Amino acid sequence: MTTLPSVLGTGLIAAGVGFLAVAAIGFWRLPDLLSRLHVLTKADTAGLSLVALGAACLTGTPASILPLGLCVLLTAISGATVGHLVARSVTPRGGRS
Amino acid sequence: MIAFDLALAAGILLCAVSALTRRDRTASVAAFMVLGLLVALSWVRLAAPDVALAEAAIGAGLTGALFLRAARRLGPLRPAAGRTLAVPAALVASGLGGGLAWVFASASPPAIYAPLVAASLPESGVSNPVTAVLLNFRAWDTLLEIAVLVVALLVANLLGSRRLVPVSLGEMTLPFARIVAPISILLAGHLLWQGSSAPGGAFQAGAVLAGGLLALVLAGLAPTGTLVVRGALIAGLSGLAVFLIAALGSEALTGSLLGYPNRAEKVWIVAIEAALTLSIAATLCLLFTGFEKRKTS
Amino acid sequence: MTSDLVYHVAGAGLLAIALWRLATCRDTLRRITALNVLAIGIAMVLLASGHDPATGVTNPVPQAFVLTGIVVLVAVTAALLALAERLEGSSDE
Repeated sequence: MTTLPSVLGTGLIAAGVGFLAVAAIGFWRLPDLLSRLHVLTKADTAGLSLVALGAACLTGTPASILPLGLCVLLTAISGATVGHLVARSVTPRGGRS
Repeated sequence: MIAFDLALAAGILLCAVSALTRRDRTASVAAFMVLGLLVALSWVRLAAPDVALAEAAIGAGLTGALFLRAARRLGPLRPAAGRTLAVPAALVASGLGGGLAWVFASASPPAIYAPLVAASLPESGVSNPVTAVLLNFRAWDTLLEIAVLVVALLVANLLGSRRLVPVSLGEMTLPFARIVAPISILLAGHLLWQGSSAPGGAFQAGAVLAGGLLALVLAGLAPTGTLVVRGALIAGLSGLAVFLIAALGSEALTGSLLGYPNRAEKVWIVAIEAALTLSIAATLCLLFTGFEKRKTS
Repeated sequence: MTSDLVYHVAGAGLLAIALWRLATCRDTLRRITALNVLAIGIAMVLLASGHDPATGVTNPVPQAFVLTGIVVLVAVTAALLALAERLEGSSDE
């Protein structure tokens, strides 16, 4: 049962969940919007990528790795863009133009 | 797993309370969107991935976007008036909810339809039971549902809902739209084709396509001329037209409305679904962007 | 206690919250949100009652109902919001 990919996959998923938990705690404890944004965009993307990598190790078929990679790509892009837009809406000269 | 279910249910109820009681409109819409995502997760737990996909894309995504637009246009929350009804209303509502929970907890579910669908699934031409019900066994319901979509589109058109004029969001949204829009088209095609054998189908594909189109519109990359809007309106109406032509065609060929010819069922279903995907995407997109640039008079 | 029962109760709870807010709220947008939550509650009750824990399969007929309901609901919501914007706009000026 305990082959190398399954151990590796479980470990990666555990690490990813750890990152997500840190992001959640940070979101809860940090005082202002910009530092919260800092936690959410980076730790969330890292956590999700690790979980997806772990899941890819566990399944190991190309048919499941492709959608997982697409998930990671889309969340990474949208996380970065949304983070930028939210930050832009609160910086003094970023509102318009 | 019961611990996960309990935590998820608690999260869903908390989000619902938050969405319906927060005074800040943006916070309330955000809570509603989170509610939609959590509900989609719970429907995966209930072994309904088709519905979960639709809820995540339409219920959380597009409805949330519509609410945000309306929140911006309607302004802040009006002060509450008439507190006197709160207690009786709470009593009646909790009584109804409790009664419903009790009825469903004590009743045994009728097991008529699932075996019937499973028995006639081979005749339907597709192997996803939900698609079989939607586009073969109960295709009439879906036809009428598309009619409802058309009515909503016409109502919004008649009211002359104001056209969304996107504020320039800066350079960063351009690569986002340029990456997301092609992927959403690919994904919509995949969901559409996959719908006959696995979770997916016209509604999910249409919602994903509408999301990609909206990313283009919000980034300012989509053309916004009157001709384009008119073309999108025609595309939105064409779904009902294709569905009706298919109904009449099947009547002429087999003698029963929407009873597809033998062994060509899959072709008919996928063709109708392809038309519906485009029409649903155009409809949802138009309902969000609005129709005319009315002057503020 | 099974997971089906958990989601039954959650669906009924959503229904109760939505009905309570529908009855006590004056704000149009809040009421339309409550209508959406009500529909989610009903859908959840339908799906939970169609779920068979023995086989792990959910009845496809309620699934199709709920799928239809979601698409109809977004169209109705958009029409209602267009009406609300029109009404508020005319009362303001």
